[in-house]
Amino acid sequence: MPATDYRGSSAPLTNIGRSFLSLRRDQVHAMESPNHGSASHEVELESFQRQVADRFNDLASVPSDELLSLPWVRKLLDVFLCCQEEFRVILFNNKAQVMKPPMDRLIADFYERTVKALDVCNAIRDGIEQIKQWQKLLEIVLCALGDSNVNTNTNNNGNNNCYPRTLGEGQFRRAKKALIDLAIGMLYEKDSSQGLAHRNRSFGRNNNSGSHSKDHHHRSLGHFRSLSWSVSRSWSAARQLQAIGNNLAVPRGNEVVTTNGLAMPVYTMGSVLLFVMWALVAAIPCQDRGLQVHFYVPRQFSWAAPILSLHERIIEEFIKWRSVRGCWVIWLILCSFR
Amino acid sequence: MEKDHQPEKSSSFNKGDDDHKNSGTDNTLPVTESPECSNEKKSAAADITELEMEKSEEMKTGITEIEVIEKPEEKEKDGGELGEPTPPPEIKYTLETASEDIERFLLNLSTPKDEEVEAGLETPEFIEKYLDLVEEKISKHESPDTKVKGCQLPEDDASFLKVVDQISKLYKNLSSVFRLDSNQGPLINRIGKIQQRAMSYLEDEFRSLLEESRIVEPDQKQEVADQCPLPGQDQSAESNEESNFPGYSQEVLANLNKIAKEMISGGHESECCEVYMITRRNVIEETLNKLGFEKISIDEVQRMQWEALEREIPPWIKAFKQCANVYFPGERKLAETIFSDYPSLSDSHFSNLTRGVFIQLLNFAEAVAISKRSTEKLFKFLDMYETLRDSLSAIDSVFPEECAKELRAETTTARCRIGETAICIFCDLENSIKSDTGKTQVPGGAVHPLTRYTMNYLKYACDEYKDTLEQVFKEHAKIERADSTSRPRNYEGDSENYNDDEENHSPFSGQLIRIMDLLDSILETKSKLYRDVPLSCIFMMNNGRYMLQKIRGSAEIHQVMGDTWCRKRSSDLRNYHKNYQRETWTKLLGCLSNEGLSVNGKVVKPVLKEKFKSFNAMFDEIHKTQSSWVISDKQLQSELRVSISAVVIPAYRSFLGRFSGYLDPGRQTEKYIKFQSEDIETYIDELFDGNPSSIARRKT
Repeated sequence: MPATDYRGSSAPLTNIGRSFLSLRRDQVHAMESPNHGSASHEVELESFQRQVADRFNDLASVPSDELLSLPWVRKLLDVFLCCQEEFRVILFNNKAQVMKPPMDRLIADFYERTVKALDVCNAIRDGIEQIKQWQKLLEIVLCALGDSNVNTNTNNNGNNNCYPRTLGEGQFRRAKKALIDLAIGMLYEKDSSQGLAHRNRSFGRNNNSGSHSKDHHHRSLGHFRSLSWSVSRSWSAARQLQAIGNNLAVPRGNEVVTTNGLAMPVYTMGSVLLFVMWALVAAIPCQDRGLQVHFYVPRQFSWAAPILSLHERIIEEFIKWRSVRGCWVIWLILCSFR
Repeated sequence: MEKDHQPEKSSSFNKGDDDHKNSGTDNTLPVTESPECSNEKKSAAADITELEMEKSEEMKTGITEIEVIEKPEEKEKDGGELGEPTPPPEIKYTLETASEDIERFLLNLSTPKDEEVEAGLETPEFIEKYLDLVEEKISKHESPDTKVKGCQLPEDDASFLKVVDQISKLYKNLSSVFRLDSNQGPLINRIGKIQQRAMSYLEDEFRSLLEESRIVEPDQKQEVADQCPLPGQDQSAESNEESNFPGYSQEVLANLNKIAKEMISGGHESECCEVYMITRRNVIEETLNKLGFEKISIDEVQRMQWEALEREIPPWIKAFKQCANVYFPGERKLAETIFSDYPSLSDSHFSNLTRGVFIQLLNFAEAVAISKRSTEKLFKFLDMYETLRDSLSAIDSVFPEECAKELRAETTTARCRIGETAICIFCDLENSIKSDTGKTQVPGGAVHPLTRYTMNYLKYACDEYKDTLEQVFKEHAKIERADSTSRPRNYEGDSENYNDDEENHSPFSGQLIRIMDLLDSILETKSKLYRDVPLSCIFMMNNGRYMLQKIRGSAEIHQVMGDTWCRKRSSDLRNYHKNYQRETWTKLLGCLSNEGLSVNGKVVKPVLKEKFKSFNAMFDEIHKTQSSWVISDKQLQSELRVSISAVVIPAYRSFLGRFSGYLDPGRQTEKYIKFQSEDIETYIDELFDGNPSSIARRKT
């Protein structure tokens, strides 16, 4: 069994957290800004918009089947970190402006969004652990069904613990057992609210009274436990996304003027943040998943087109996947009681 | 069976079945066998007979030889063990004897026999019998009835595990020789099924042992405490309870270890690890819950009222300390005990299990650190800071190298963040002092609430957290130096200022001195609100004295502020004192001057009368106003009175002595000399009491 490496997966999220927090530090410690010519200032703001657009165009250029895949999610996080970094540079170069109203309020709003995003990141990290658990169950299935590549055994007695040459009833039962656990795990993910324990128990009971009276293969169903979430029970990804998007509005003309154009990157970064968090929730299971977030970006922003198209495609994929998964889970359950 | 079986029933694993001893004579097939199984057996048996026809001559003789040699030995051995008359050999075929056959068979398989392997191996008949017996044994173990009968027979567990081990080996060996679609297929299939069933059973046992056989700690603690009433033994009782975690008996641990070993060598490592991880994760979670640590999202922390958030911090501290010092080392030991033969497994299990919990704990610290700052939060923040700081060595010792490195970095980051927040709180304190521009005067020039608050706050901070604060400012102040908006000067500039007159200041004492100076200048501004100059002096003296007394009253804050600062402050106070004397009493003494009193050596009576009159009036007035002023510090109060008396009384006495004779005795004297020097002393002693009193009123 491969030693699970959590670092690999949580590192980008940790970085996001770090990045959020150091942003705040900049905000607290902002001092007088270096004197920038207004021309270079405008160039800076424009290049930021363009870079965001380029990066998201790149993200949007994947075929649908790669959308929400782990490599894509990793790329998404990279894009976010790059945008965030450039955003920080802009703020750093305009510290004097940042301290003054109305920029201070806009920055404070953005900061609040990022804090909310931290919770999404934590929930996503839980989700990754959940996926790893599913992966392990699938590894059991593959191992049972004879794929000897799956089980890189730490037990180095030279044993090959998979028996690729024979595929007997024992193996089938082993695979089935793991699949049932997986099905229940995914069902749990689907409606993560209460009632799981009850359902599990009834599974267990059905099994025991079933035809295999001596069969203990399903007894563990009554014990099936999922890893618990590190967020509180009442926490909801859907609500959190809504909170991140709260009051995220295109800056008004006078706001743009009084902030010397800085309101634009703040709005841009806010939208990027909301989209990235939303996409993470779409890609990775987490508590009370829901994608019904009001998401509107006017087309005049160069980055609006790729983000809106991604948004649309992800919703499509998500719905497709959900229905497939739903069928699959039901199929698994039906099979397992045959 | 279904009804009887309850998941919460404790494991049968170390209970065993009580008819174990009878199993020697009991060789009937399991009654509860499914039809499926017996069908297979028949077909497998058929296969074997077929195979026997085909088998080579050498093989045949080889096997029979073994059988022939074995049988008498078994009889002897069993007879000796059971102490019973030897039953007829046809009936007497127990699991033990079958096991020995299988053992030999496996040994035979593992010794290389070049041609034979290629020719296709023989599977002897006794395998089927053996499998029947194994199935029977598993059924017995699975049956809830045996669980209810709580007779402990650990040697039965051992024999069960031995059988499982054998089945796994048999399956592995045979399945690598025969294909499922070969003649031996049905037999292989049967062995595979039995092996899977045994593994599944072990998995359940492993889970329930992990879940249900923990010793309940509180009861035991109570007992230990009751037994040892000696106060010196309290600690040992407590550490006993702590070392109890995770609370499995040696016997259970040994069983867990054996099951894990069997599952892993039987190829069910993933199942075993999954069960272990999930079960332990839930146990840790439950344990933290019991300590009162709750999951609160970062966003929630930001929105919580401080009163509510404050209540969450002590449980967090307790949870963190317990994890670092008790639970994590306990988990590590547990993983090492259960997976003793697989050090890399135990390492990765331990790391993966505890890492998540640890990160969750750190999350709370970070969430608190970025919550809205306020001065009242400082002390709880510092408590958390200390907890994070002090747990570092525990992390180093308990986590494997790689993981320890990462967690140390995470802990340090969280600690830095709290440290920075603590420093910001001091900036906030500065700002709140600066912005205290209220115009209300404190009546009687008494100590200002701002002085009281600030001094008590700082004194408490020093008394309880001096070393921590010194560390915080040393380690985390660097970033702050760049921050010029919330503070007018930086540390370097400050220490230069003070370098002139004193040893190098630590960053923290620099901060404290800056706050004191700021407080001083704010008080100075406030003192101007008093129209009476002497009263503003009294106000400054009161507040200055208060500050000094607080600093001198605590070795910690005194050390931070330094002697130089205290000396300077004392001399400031003396100046206010002098000012006050001058403003009030020098003026009064002006009335008693000789100036214009005598012209050509003769005393001018009207001038003398005027002098007495004005002295009386002025003293009366001073007494009237200043007796309502407040000096709450008794020492300062008496110092002032003494110093006033020392100036006023001798001057008045000598004036009286020199000039009272010039006034006509009787009416005139009575009119102009209202005070004897003793009266003056009495009245001076009534000053600064905060009770307005009038001489005139009392005289009438």
